[in-house]
Amino acid sequence: MKRLSYILSVLVALSMLLAACGSPAVQAPPADAPAADAPAAELEGTLNVWAFTNEIRTMAIAFEGRHPKVDVVYTMIPMTNGEYQTKVKAAAGTADSPDVVALEAAFVKEWVESDLLANLNDLLPLTEELKTFPSVVEVGSYDGVAKGFSYQATPGAFFYRRSIAKECLGTDDPAEVQAMVADLDKFVETAAKIKSCGTGDYFTVGTPGEMLNPFLANREQPWIVDGDLVIDPMVEEYVKFAKLMRDNGYESQATQWSEGWFAGMNDTLKDANGTPKKVFSYFLPTWGLPYVLIPNSKSDTTDTGGDWAMINGPMAYQWGGTWVGVLDGSPNSELAKEFVKFVALDEENLTNWATGVYTNEYLKAIDPETPDDQAQAGGDFVSSQVVVEKITSSFDNSDLAKFLGGQNSYAAFAQAAPSVNGALLTGSDDAIQRALNDPLASYLNGDITEAEMYAQWLDAVRNEFPDLVIPEPPVK
Amino acid sequence: MFENYRFNTNVIRFFVYLVLIILLAVTIIPIWILIVNATRSTTEIQQGLSILPSTHLFENYRILLGKGLNLPRGFSNSLFLAVSSTIVTVYFSMLTAYGIVAYEFKGKKLFSNFIVLLVMIPMQLSIIGFYQYMSKLGLTDNYAALIFPLIANAGAVFFGKQYLESMIMQDLIDAARIDGASELGIFHLVMMPLAIPGAATMGIFAFVASWNNFFNAFILISSIEKYTLPMLVQTLRGDVYRTEFGAIYLGLAATIVPIIIIYAIFSRYIVSGIAIGALKE
Amino acid sequence: MSLSKFKRNYYGYLFIAPFVIGFLIFGLYPVYNTLALSFTDTTLMTKNANFVGLKNFERLFADNVFINAVKNTWIIWILNFIPQVGIAMLLSIWFTNTRLKIKGVGVWRALFFLPNLLVPASVAALFFAFFSFYGPVNQFMVRFGLLPEAMHYLQSVPVTRGLVVFIQWWMWFGQTVIIVMAGMTSIPVTLYEAAMVDGATSSQMFRRITLPLLKPILIYVFVTSLVGGMQMFDIPFLLTDGRGSPNASIQTNNILMYMKFASSKGHIGAASSVGVLIFIMTSICALGIFYFLRDRDNDEPKRSWFSKKSTER
Repeated sequence: MKRLSYILSVLVALSMLLAACGSPAVQAPPADAPAADAPAAELEGTLNVWAFTNEIRTMAIAFEGRHPKVDVVYTMIPMTNGEYQTKVKAAAGTADSPDVVALEAAFVKEWVESDLLANLNDLLPLTEELKTFPSVVEVGSYDGVAKGFSYQATPGAFFYRRSIAKECLGTDDPAEVQAMVADLDKFVETAAKIKSCGTGDYFTVGTPGEMLNPFLANREQPWIVDGDLVIDPMVEEYVKFAKLMRDNGYESQATQWSEGWFAGMNDTLKDANGTPKKVFSYFLPTWGLPYVLIPNSKSDTTDTGGDWAMINGPMAYQWGGTWVGVLDGSPNSELAKEFVKFVALDEENLTNWATGVYTNEYLKAIDPETPDDQAQAGGDFVSSQVVVEKITSSFDNSDLAKFLGGQNSYAAFAQAAPSVNGALLTGSDDAIQRALNDPLASYLNGDITEAEMYAQWLDAVRNEFPDLVIPEPPVK
Repeated sequence: MFENYRFNTNVIRFFVYLVLIILLAVTIIPIWILIVNATRSTTEIQQGLSILPSTHLFENYRILLGKGLNLPRGFSNSLFLAVSSTIVTVYFSMLTAYGIVAYEFKGKKLFSNFIVLLVMIPMQLSIIGFYQYMSKLGLTDNYAALIFPLIANAGAVFFGKQYLESMIMQDLIDAARIDGASELGIFHLVMMPLAIPGAATMGIFAFVASWNNFFNAFILISSIEKYTLPMLVQTLRGDVYRTEFGAIYLGLAATIVPIIIIYAIFSRYIVSGIAIGALKE
Repeated sequence: MSLSKFKRNYYGYLFIAPFVIGFLIFGLYPVYNTLALSFTDTTLMTKNANFVGLKNFERLFADNVFINAVKNTWIIWILNFIPQVGIAMLLSIWFTNTRLKIKGVGVWRALFFLPNLLVPASVAALFFAFFSFYGPVNQFMVRFGLLPEAMHYLQSVPVTRGLVVFIQWWMWFGQTVIIVMAGMTSIPVTLYEAAMVDGATSSQMFRRITLPLLKPILIYVFVTSLVGGMQMFDIPFLLTDGRGSPNASIQTNNILMYMKFASSKGHIGAASSVGVLIFIMTSICALGIFYFLRDRDNDEPKRSWFSKKSTER
């Protein structure tokens, strides 16, 4: 589950794919025009920025373009096994501490709730100007103090294969398919149809893991309320639903972020006997489309591009996102704040970011040492409603739309984003959810009972949070 | 009877080679697959296993280059670090071990027990404390923080001590003394040449430990110009998480192939016991 | 001679001085720090910390999580140590046997050592890919009828534990071969020649010459393997989800320690208490081994544990 959040990164494949598919929908930028209007007082200095994703590097180069006298020293540290978090924790408070850190949704709250980030309340007025989605601000704040902002909003969606929908459900029209999966009961009915269709080699979903986010997003209460662990009824619902999907063979039993899961995206999945299998749908958020689905939709022999459609699915949800914050005590705090402002709260930058202005040539014109793959293709969903409203129509005939058989994903995400609830995130979520994965997998396999699953999970949570009051398990 | 003896030897020899070949297969196959995967495309890797190389080596290399990762620089950083670490470890550990084995001084027993105690301390834990301490000394982002602590490498001293104890050398030391050699001279000129098998063994272990050391280097080194190979490969994994498998495998292969070559050269210097026996006579 | 010998022994201090100084500069503080932290509730994410006495330790024994981790660590270590030393001894004897004359000893030895050269992260990633649900092992097992249908290997307790044992063995047996052989080859050939003149059989020579003289090296192998085994981390950490799943069956001491460390606030106080306990446990065992295997009489190295054991039969 943790791994799902690791994906936020610039993908070579994406840039190559889009380059190959012809000119971007948005007007190509002049290669030599980094900064339009420089601010009155020119900023200078050196800024240390640490991130777990190369996206921020694009931001850093663009920032240097805006402020030519600023030198951003950018360090990318992967978080495959939590190295990034360890490294930042170790460096915080020492002489080697970075000025700015990037924080992923899985652990941003942990940092926001800590003493380590600087107060960024000065920047709050800008969020009103830009109409930043309230949930984005909420996640970056604790006790009324804003400590981090994000350039992204990350509502989730449900992506399905048009060809399978036509074959098994009789239509590939998004509105009609949405009606067929509008709630969980209908979803299960549809899954049964897909299973019994053709030679019976279609799965409705790839993994139990990706179904978790919608359920969690629709809880009444966060995991922890006043020192008590809360097992919301939605958690039990999820367990029942995942079991049902597994027992009926509606789910492929792959592991998220592993070969099997990716193979389903480009129709190369084969079971142990070598029988080809197909996966009907994937639960993915905004960034999942450009960073996961599109790059993996092509194999050496297959290409599922154009065969996808996007709908809301049974429940609204959100998933992931990258925030930036300033470490408390940074000697360059003013410059660092300026960087956060540029990354997350600057209309021009957000527009450029989302519309594919930051091509490799553009970045190379600013910094000739930019790697060949460094670029930001259009389509990332930004956190400012002002920007979103202005640019949505520009995606009508984009490559993203072609991939989705003509749908404008940006418009769909813009509809879903305001319903996201940022209040459900706490600093302990990641640990609690990670502890659930293993007992759940054993239960889905039929190795342990539901009661044993809850017992194992709660034991693990208790071990991780000795002070937490743990309730009785819902099933005994 | 003699023929019977020879027959038995041949049967045993056949059996021995059979076991060796089975062990070899177990050892090599996973490594071979790793190297083969470096030549396969991501799709091919997702399709399953192959023991035959494919044709995507250059494509994978191009993807690697496109990431802006400077593998040659990472390689020379790793090499520098590993060679320095090896020299420091072998020299100082042998020195300490020789001091313990060859002299009877007060507190010797205590000291050698202390070494064993140090071996047992789980050092991974203290890395954060170590980092903060190095930061105070101004040694973070500096290879010195990775090399100098090896002067007190308890594990290597322990190996050196056990190794030297298994050698019989008092007569040689006494003979050298009669010839007028200084104590340090005896260590450098008499003991070290004799202990080459042990020193080479220790050296290889020290080299590998440094070459593969990811966690400590990762915590202590920040600037990308100083990244070692494992750190670069990890960067690659984090960057294109689980997508460009071919390039990732190529990165992994890049870390192991050079060390295999170095090892192939080095391992010849673990001289055979016959040479030592001859020296002693 | 005796006076100069007495003086000369002061050179011992000179020889160990660099180590002592190096330790005082680089080693002492982290060790002290670990111990001191284990009595506090220090975390990485909050600025204040309190002295909490033995609370961290009490909590470790409040449930069976710590005991379970200790149990796992011992099971995995013992199961990989026995075949590791067994095979290392066997190969070393074969390789040094003058009658068998195995060809290319250096090459074999070098090849067996290869797995040790790999970064644990890539080893774990490789085995994870082999044993995933859609991976090659399932393809093989199902197509050859060895399994009726694909299974989740890494969610099965015995398979996962077995895999960790195998990988640990696979990575380390070559190293043990090299160490044991380094010890065997340093035994003077003259000893064997003399024994042969006296008409000793090869098994007698093994028991009376090889084993006793190899003892320091075997102790080394034993103790370092024990210490390494008690601190086993990389492979079980990376093979599944970093929590020792399934059902905490490969959750070793160090994984538990790391989990405390990486828990949401970075409880380095609680993590240190696990580290201190690992240290105490390992020390007791290793000192016990030393006590039983030490030379009771330094003048007669042959009357060691091994030779006594063998003559008792």
